[in-house]
Amino acid sequence: MKPPPFRYAAPSSVAEAVDLLVRHAAVEPRVLAGGQSLVPLMNFRLAQPGHLIDLRRVADLDGIRVHGDYLVIGAMARQSAVEDAPEVALTAPLLAEAIGLVADRTVRNSGTIGGSLAHADPTAELPAVALALDAELVATGPGGIRGIPAAEFFRGPFSTALAADEILTEIRLPRREGGHAFIEFARTHGTFAIVAVAAQIELDGGRISRAALALTGVAPTAVRATAAERALVGATPDTAAIAAAADAAVSGLTPAGDVHASATTRTELARTYVRRALDLALSRAQDRR
Amino acid sequence: MTTVDRSAPPVRTHKSNRKWVGQSIRRVEDPKFLRGRGGYIADLVTPGMLHAAVLRSPHAHARIVSIDLTAAAALAGVHAVITGGRAAELTEPLPDFGPDPANHTWRCLAVEKVRYVGEGVAVVVADSRYLAEDALALIEVEYEPLPPVVDPEAALAEGAPLVHEPLGSNCAYERAFDFGEVDRDFAEADLVVRDRLRWHRSGGQPLETVGAIADFDHATGDLTVHTNSLSFTSYLFMVAATMRIPANKLDVRQVPAGGSFGSKLFVTKPLVLAAMCSREVGRPVVYLEDRVDNISNCDHHGSDRVYDVELAVMRDGTLRGIKIDVIDDYGAYIQFGVGHHGNALAQVTGPYKIGSVRYRVRAALTNKNQQGAYRGFGSEVNNWMLEQMVDKAARELGIDPAQIRRQNFIQPSDFPYFIPTGNVYDSGDYGAVLDQTLKLADYDHWRAEQAKAREEGRYLGVGLISAQERSVFSATEFWFWFDEPGAPVTSMPESVTLKVDATGAITATLYSCAFWGNSPETMVAQLVAEEFDCDPHDVSVVYQGSRNGLPATGPGGSRTTVMLAGAVEGASAKIKAKALRAAAHLLEAAPEDMEWVDGGYQVKGVPEQRKNLAEIAVMLHLFKHSFPEDIESGLEDSKVFDHPYTTMPSADRKDLGVFYPFMGHACHVPVVEVDVETGAVKILSYAAVHDCGTLVNPRSLAGHIVGGTAQGIGTALYEEFVYDTDGQLLSSTFLDYLIPSAMEVPELKIGHAETPSPYTPHGIKGGGEGGRMMAPAALNAAVNDALAPLGVRVTELPMTPDRILAALRAAR
Amino acid sequence: MTDKHRITLTVNGREHSAEVAPRTLLVDFLRDDLGLKGAHIGCEHGVCGTCTVLLDDRSVRSCIMFAVQADGGQVRTVEGLADGARLHPLQDEFWDKQALQCGYCTPAMLMRAIEILEHNPDPTPAQVREGIASNLCRCTGYQFITEAVCAAAARMRADTGTTAGAQA
Repeated sequence: MKPPPFRYAAPSSVAEAVDLLVRHAAVEPRVLAGGQSLVPLMNFRLAQPGHLIDLRRVADLDGIRVHGDYLVIGAMARQSAVEDAPEVALTAPLLAEAIGLVADRTVRNSGTIGGSLAHADPTAELPAVALALDAELVATGPGGIRGIPAAEFFRGPFSTALAADEILTEIRLPRREGGHAFIEFARTHGTFAIVAVAAQIELDGGRISRAALALTGVAPTAVRATAAERALVGATPDTAAIAAAADAAVSGLTPAGDVHASATTRTELARTYVRRALDLALSRAQDRR
Repeated sequence: MTTVDRSAPPVRTHKSNRKWVGQSIRRVEDPKFLRGRGGYIADLVTPGMLHAAVLRSPHAHARIVSIDLTAAAALAGVHAVITGGRAAELTEPLPDFGPDPANHTWRCLAVEKVRYVGEGVAVVVADSRYLAEDALALIEVEYEPLPPVVDPEAALAEGAPLVHEPLGSNCAYERAFDFGEVDRDFAEADLVVRDRLRWHRSGGQPLETVGAIADFDHATGDLTVHTNSLSFTSYLFMVAATMRIPANKLDVRQVPAGGSFGSKLFVTKPLVLAAMCSREVGRPVVYLEDRVDNISNCDHHGSDRVYDVELAVMRDGTLRGIKIDVIDDYGAYIQFGVGHHGNALAQVTGPYKIGSVRYRVRAALTNKNQQGAYRGFGSEVNNWMLEQMVDKAARELGIDPAQIRRQNFIQPSDFPYFIPTGNVYDSGDYGAVLDQTLKLADYDHWRAEQAKAREEGRYLGVGLISAQERSVFSATEFWFWFDEPGAPVTSMPESVTLKVDATGAITATLYSCAFWGNSPETMVAQLVAEEFDCDPHDVSVVYQGSRNGLPATGPGGSRTTVMLAGAVEGASAKIKAKALRAAAHLLEAAPEDMEWVDGGYQVKGVPEQRKNLAEIAVMLHLFKHSFPEDIESGLEDSKVFDHPYTTMPSADRKDLGVFYPFMGHACHVPVVEVDVETGAVKILSYAAVHDCGTLVNPRSLAGHIVGGTAQGIGTALYEEFVYDTDGQLLSSTFLDYLIPSAMEVPELKIGHAETPSPYTPHGIKGGGEGGRMMAPAALNAAVNDALAPLGVRVTELPMTPDRILAALRAAR
Repeated sequence: MTDKHRITLTVNGREHSAEVAPRTLLVDFLRDDLGLKGAHIGCEHGVCGTCTVLLDDRSVRSCIMFAVQADGGQVRTVEGLADGARLHPLQDEFWDKQALQCGYCTPAMLMRAIEILEHNPDPTPAQVREGIASNLCRCTGYQFITEAVCAAAARMRADTGTTAGAQA
């Protein structure tokens, strides 16, 4: 399974990379970050970009830093670096928990935060985290820099709001209070999650004051369970409320079944995992107070 | 009444103090692998070598209307493009042990129509694999899709689309056998337990695929092939026939294989593809399957069965008889016939005194890749089916699962025990293995934990299975299916040559691709060391190609160690006989006054009158005139060790004879927790005790038990080649064909028991397949035990979340 | 049709410079251009791990990486582990514990184990098992591999500062 031929460049700046995207637009150029998703597709010949623009030499694209109330991560930050960074564990524990579930350590050594988000695999963990934390995805194109809210970023399977000549350069994750949980159901270690749930819940005076819930595996992209969130805000976090939220989260979903799980199984798994994620996030929210 | 030849080999006495057999020495094979210098097929580079790639069909069933090679052939770096039609002009059909090869003809590439997704339709030869695949993309094939037949029962129904029109049916073979008094046993039974069981196909999927480097020399007409699949060398003349060359111009040379588990057993298609290409281009050609080639087109999918079973039982738990009606989905071809059911019939009644068997087998052809060999070769499925039925009977009668097994066991005093099919079990002590396993598993503790968990609304299950692991198949199991077999062959040997050089150092030569990850070199080294009192690491082991090699079968059916032991024993005896004569002559003593002690021959009672092997060897090699006329120079001999215990089937086939006599046994007790909300199965504990007779290298066998159990976990929970209703292969990559990682395989507690075989050297039995022959049955038993309070029994493997959740929903 | 790129990288301490087509996978570069056959090909889609090598001290899947992506990097492969006749403790323990059967996953397991132990020289068996879950083995069922890595870790902790290992 060898890839088809392509031209290759490794520019040393974002501007240069954008320029290459523009100049080679006619031959289906693709940005190469970690390659953990793109190169397998090329080996299968399901992706046949005419030009690869490798970001490995672009300086200062892999930083991980806290900036006020935000965790700011460069798009080329390796997933294993994010996994190991104390700033991430402190400022965005939801991300820290999720990143350890992405494939396995070896893949995370090469895979990048930006690459995973821009690839927008519907089964991937990071888009769910971005949605749950209301992240801002910063893109650079020939027209300049713009921030795209996560809620507007994921358009469909493997499809994002990035224009063909834009590169994702940075992710900004707001710091959240309360308790987090990222759990997923995968059949074997390291293989794609069937269903994953990202939860970030805040408590105030014994009631839920803020709830963010994102699911994968149940729709063409990762999705926020907004009906469930509305049901949770203001509620006392008891078993009935959690069960009601889980029901609300799956109501109306029409997941696609596949060889690993039927639509029915996915819906049941989502319901169960929303419940379990809420239990975990809430117990952590209690602990944090 | 039928009479058959029941001549058994003589019962042997085994020496009690062994020096090397039984030691877990470091393997002699390992140093090169540890350094990354394994010399696998992909590592070999022949000067001038070109690379082949195969274009695979995207359709499950379609007529090939046209193939346009123009663009592909014109690509720079491409040397040849060959379609199936052209291949049929250049080669004969592939060797085929199926029931009717003329009417289910199998070739290296599809001709006129494709019969499964992944079947090859053309092959490209280019300067590199990269370029070959570029050329594949330029081949234009026009297909006329035909309705696919995917479900085996639908395939057998009237009016189903035919996979092979000349066959006139999708039923490649059907027969019902009766052994013992089936009708009487069922009439007298207190209870008949019935069930329908479904085992879906999985496969070996070793990390290394199959490959061959072929070099056809137009000057000499010699075809030299290096491949990681060399077995059944006695049958390689069939490959020569496929290539239309004299058999003595073919030389197939072994290369270590990166795993096989059956999937590299007699794999001739890659060899023929490479050879055909090499002959066309006049240069060496390598064909290496990539992973998708291997998953979709390897010709080694495992058993794929639908069982309807009835078990006749007495109220006290005595098992009387069993009626088995099995449909096996063989895919689009049937290269080994229904030999997989021979494996089942070798131990169809398990470790129990079941007196009668009706076995009806139907081989269905469908639009899928064909079955081949997968660790167990069809006997593991029978183990699973039988243990499911025994557990069902136990539950219906209210008898404890350990108790029902114990009371039906064949007893140690019953051996050698002939089961209703005619095969023999040579030795065993099933009660002792069960006792040992229950202790190792901390059985009572887990039953207590199970009760506690149930109170908390958690579902723990303890699985307990006792089952057989046959070893060393005979040739008869491939043809006793027919009253008038075309080729009732009876040879299935293994050979070893031992040479003692002038320094007394020993070299052993092996003759097939015996190294798949088993340890043939270590086995031979330990066995030779046992004979000659040397250090196993001082024995040199080499391989010889097929052309001037001795007959050999290679691994399969857990036969390698036993067969190598017989060959080493035989060759050693010949060498020792000559050494004895030489020593006696040199010492001027009578041979009957001498004995072998500590690496040499000495006069009994006079240890100073002694010649060690090196002293004898140097004389024999260099000092011809020191010996009588008839003693030739040198000290080297071979043994072609034929299967030591095969008897012929009766004419009426009510007795199949002995064909798998060295019968191992095991007990597996896993503990699982089933998450009834998700269908996930977690293994909390796993105990396994295997009895494979005398062990040559206990650690090596333990490694196979763990690895086999890991594959059994895959079969039970994760692995399946899934074809949809259009015949599309949905699990064509490792993203969808899920192989267990270290997190899915628990730490096993392994116990050994040893009931030696009375018939083999040192009492060795084979055991390499055992882990996988037990684990699927054991895990299914555990899951069913966990879900019993909910009235759920899972009867389909693998037990995916979908299937478990569906079973739970159905029970609510 | 496609341009070649010059890359320079260090492999097992030795510098190599070569012209490669961009699409040449790192595993093929190591095996075919440099003759280092220890990294194996199992799936070519990044799942099985038999192609694992270390790049700048991190394990990577060389079958889903282009050689050009390793330009300027330091690669370590199994061929760099033994010191002449003396095996690395990991190799020696794999041998002693029979942590290999067919040997196909072994070089990758060894390199992954190197990384695991460089991160944490004193892992528990559970941590080792989780660490090697990145690499498939079809033969051993992982048990003896886990034992071997733990045994090697103990030896390496004890032998810090000295080279150790049996001759093979």
